[in-house]
Amino acid sequence: MTVDVKAFERILADVIKAESGIKKVILVDRTGLTIAYTTRFSYFKVDVEGIGAIASAVYCASEEQGKSLELGELQIVTSEFEQGKIFASSCGKGILCIITDESVNIGMVRLLMKKASEQLKAILDEFLAEKPAVQLAGGEEEEELKAAFGELDKV
Amino acid sequence: MRRDAQGRLRFKIVLWGPSLSGKTTCLRWIYDEVTGLNKGGFTSVEDPTGRTLYFDYTPISATGKVIFDVFTTAGQRRHKHQRKIVLQGADGIMFVADSSRSQLQSNIESLEELKGLLGNQLGKEIPMLVLLNKRDLPDAMPRQELVSALKVEGFPIYESIAVKGLGVKRAFQAIAREVLLKRMYNV
Repeated sequence: MTVDVKAFERILADVIKAESGIKKVILVDRTGLTIAYTTRFSYFKVDVEGIGAIASAVYCASEEQGKSLELGELQIVTSEFEQGKIFASSCGKGILCIITDESVNIGMVRLLMKKASEQLKAILDEFLAEKPAVQLAGGEEEEELKAAFGELDKV
Repeated sequence: MRRDAQGRLRFKIVLWGPSLSGKTTCLRWIYDEVTGLNKGGFTSVEDPTGRTLYFDYTPISATGKVIFDVFTTAGQRRHKHQRKIVLQGADGIMFVADSSRSQLQSNIESLEELKGLLGNQLGKEIPMLVLLNKRDLPDAMPRQELVSALKVEGFPIYESIAVKGLGVKRAFQAIAREVLLKRMYNV
């Protein structure tokens, strides 16, 4: 793997550190997979992968809606709740999702998303392109797959 | 197949089928009852009556390095846009058919929609397994008649009674294996 996956964590960490109202930052792809995330300490256990799957689905659904209505490219999806907000925007092949408290500076969040999205886009395009459609598994990956095969048989 | 930032291999399996064919019941049963696999949270986007509005989702881990992200789709006709989105990036399909004779047309329409979205990929790049659910219904179609009517003779066929958990685990193991084999040997 040639992509520095730690770069995802660094970019997400920069976002969460930049604004105290930001609680969680999640990077997902358009199939619902949570690629990376960072979160502030919380007593409440949150199923981040579930949140990521919904974030991806909501963003893609909004895109589809905009396409049907011929509204052009989707910029950002904002969900406002009594006690917080969820923002989602595209970063190439991925979607950047930011969860904040209710009093967060929206302008700052937008700015942070724009900057982070540009940084993430280039790495993501390379990261997600590392799956040639017909390349077969080999070496370490094949061992991992065989181990999974064995585990499935034991269930 | 994708890798996440932790280097884990992720395979997406989608349970597809007509409304009320038992997709959520199957996934719920796997989540609640199948031991020996590690499972993450169970996420559902459903309407106030409990019908799936968008999808159900749970990650299921065979080893720490290989994870199956299992999704169901919303079966009702009006949710076709949601289904298309959930289908994105699927590595394997479990088509959950309702065995009731009265639901034959719904099964056919659902399968046609799936074929329309995946085209030639279905059964080739993307393995599919057909699960004939609700085998205990009084008006359940005979297996061979239903298989012929759906024109799915070339696919692995399994039978189940999802509300009792019968046949569900075996079908999940089978589609998970198909997905792994596809990645390992492209068969």
